[in-house]
Amino acid sequence: MADIYTPDWYEEVRDAMNARVATMKDPPGGELQIKVEIYGDGVSPYVAEGSERHFLVRIEEGHCAWYREVEGDDPAVKLDYRFRGSGNTFDEIAAGLEDPITAALHGTVKVRGDMRFLMRQAEHVKVLLEAYATGVQTSWPLGRPPYAATQEEAVRA
Amino acid sequence: MRDSYDAIIVGAGHNGLTLGAYLARSGLEVLVLERRHEEGGGLCTEELTLSGFLHNVHANYHTFVDLAPPVHDLDVRGHGVEYVRPEVQMASIYGDGTALTVHTDLDKTCASIARFSEEDAETFRRLYVEAHGYVDLLLSTLMYQPPMSVKELTRALATFGVEDRSEFLSVKLRRETINQFLDQHFTHPKVKAHLAFHGAVCAYTNDVPGLAIGFPLLVGKIDNWHLCIGGSHRLAHALWRDLAQHGGVMVSDADVRAILVDGNRAVGVRLADGTEVVARKLVASTVSVEQTFLEFLEPSTVPEELRGRIKNDVKHKDWTLFSVHLAMSTLPEYSAAEFDPDVNRAWVVNLGYGSLEELNADFAAARAGQLPEPKPNAAVNSLYDPTDAPPGCATGLLRQFAPFAIAGGGEGEWESLGRWYGHRCIEAWRSHAPNLTDDVILDWVPYTPLEIAQKFPNMVRGDWMMGEVSLANMLDQRPLPELGQYRTPVEALYMAGSTQHPHGFITFAPAYNALQVIAEDLGIDTWWRQV
Ligand SMILES: Cc1cc2nc3c(=O)[nH]c(=O)nc-3n(C[C@H](O)[C@H](O)[C@H](O)COP(=O)(O)OP(=O)(O)OC[C@H]3O[C@@H](n4cnc5c(N)ncnc54)[C@H](O)[C@@H]3O)c2cc1C
Repeated sequence: MADIYTPDWYEEVRDAMNARVATMKDPPGGELQIKVEIYGDGVSPYVAEGSERHFLVRIEEGHCAWYREVEGDDPAVKLDYRFRGSGNTFDEIAAGLEDPITAALHGTVKVRGDMRFLMRQAEHVKVLLEAYATGVQTSWPLGRPPYAATQEEAVRA
Repeated sequence: MRDSYDAIIVGAGHNGLTLGAYLARSGLEVLVLERRHEEGGGLCTEELTLSGFLHNVHANYHTFVDLAPPVHDLDVRGHGVEYVRPEVQMASIYGDGTALTVHTDLDKTCASIARFSEEDAETFRRLYVEAHGYVDLLLSTLMYQPPMSVKELTRALATFGVEDRSEFLSVKLRRETINQFLDQHFTHPKVKAHLAFHGAVCAYTNDVPGLAIGFPLLVGKIDNWHLCIGGSHRLAHALWRDLAQHGGVMVSDADVRAILVDGNRAVGVRLADGTEVVARKLVASTVSVEQTFLEFLEPSTVPEELRGRIKNDVKHKDWTLFSVHLAMSTLPEYSAAEFDPDVNRAWVVNLGYGSLEELNADFAAARAGQLPEPKPNAAVNSLYDPTDAPPGCATGLLRQFAPFAIAGGGEGEWESLGRWYGHRCIEAWRSHAPNLTDDVILDWVPYTPLEIAQKFPNMVRGDWMMGEVSLANMLDQRPLPELGQYRTPVEALYMAGSTQHPHGFITFAPAYNALQVIAEDLGIDTWWRQV
């Protein structure tokens, strides 16, 4: 079990995604780069209020090639999609408490990019999102949403 | 004007100018040709009554501000456009003196609805919050990209399980009318009438099957109605400035009569005075399909079947708008202000529709060529734009749902009916705002459906949407399946105006979507797609 938002955790998310994609009959080809931007909302202890954490995910032939934390926007990196939401929202998604599709539908996660492609690949997108939300056993060193009240409680939790 | 350009665009409405500006910013040499004396098309502001009174002859309500990518990409505000979002966006005044007001403040709107039905107020709040959440997503999925088919969309919505995650969006809406949607979710006839009226002003007629699918989206932006300070034409001017700043050229009084074809490729245009201009890379038409394929192109260059389908299958809107433009020395004071004082600050006012049945009856009448008993909607821009009339005065705009051709006499009848019907519309306004006596109305002019068609030949039969607004005529089926992706059977000829998905209105979307297709075909760097 890896701590949320650590390299070990990304590896586990990646493996979970790829295990599910492996069961798909016809995963889409091509390459995609997706940026996930999480901004501090004063609720999540994992993203300080006023700061942001950015993650880059690379999909190759339907599989997650890598998933890593990055600093801001790199103009040299061509993005296909950008998902943006608050720390609390993303924590809840990773904890399986919030459904990622509902979050996008309700605008708590904003999605930018070629929506036509995304709609046409709905099956694949759903598989990746489900793996992210429910495919990994996560440990929460600073508390699991709805979070422990104090650091001590968090450690105990 | 030189004798050759990379891209020639026919029509300098907001779609032609938008496409031109993007292409010019992309380094193409662009020429936009406009038959009228000025750019803008439906973005047209004229002193129709008295000097100093600015009347928006066509587009008055800008409902896609900050939702349409070109507003930012082309920096229209940087080019001098100033928008105001009226605090009291809209109102309905009913026959019994009650009124409902829609505000930019959701709580106030719900409080107003609750005076008719608390249950409806709660439903409206849930609908608004839900729809407001996905308005960006739906707009980028449905409007600001070349269209998918209904089948593809339905499949994706089913895969994502949208129906289980949403109270109001459902695949079955693609078969339902807005009336059905309202009957399923709302209870009070006046609340339903107001919401249906709002849809109708957006050209989404409440009794047309399939339009329910777009209704949540309409509600998601129900409070996004903006007024362009100094008149809608300011936006046209801003788009033209952007075009010009990037080396593009707009030529007015340039009536395109022919699109020149070599082999099967569009290579230029011919104007009414015989001038020919060469298009090195593309010609884009933003006028009607009838003009483009039946008038501009030699019959031999258009597949016979397509010509036949354009003659027989292209559907136009089956009702249009009759307008009255007024110069007034005062603002209207509504009797219904006793019930809700905010009606006096409402930008757009529905004068009388109080049930779905009344709307149904008037659309049925208009379709049969009959003039409805006037229940116009009234807009007073001066409430929010102090520059649109001399100090202390106000402009007024009445719009009535109406037929293009009058039963028994045809559209020519409007020549004699215009002032009479206009007078009746003013009487209807006065019945709700008794202070609008003859002496405070300094001048007024009717603007009839016939005049729409005369001013803009691309608005065939006064079709202000340049094609019926129905699900069957949206997405990749608009205006015909073979033209639904902005390309045409003639190589290098594109359709980029309101004949295309999604439809008319100041959406910028047809041009923006045609741009994506042109960029793909020509290998243009898509600098505007900032993920
Ligand atoms: C009465 C009325 C009220 C309306 N109110 C609103 C509103 O409040 N809000 C809103 O968003 N929309 C409104 N509309 C609709 C809006 O005006 C149109 O949807 C919009 O103008 C379409 O933009 P466009 O660029 O596709 O076409 P247009 O604006 O029509 O531009 C096409 C241009 O092509 C030119 N042209 C035609 N033939 C030729 C030729 N042979 N050669 C060269 N040029 C040619 C025309 O002169 C015109 O300038 C209204 C329309 C009407 C009629």
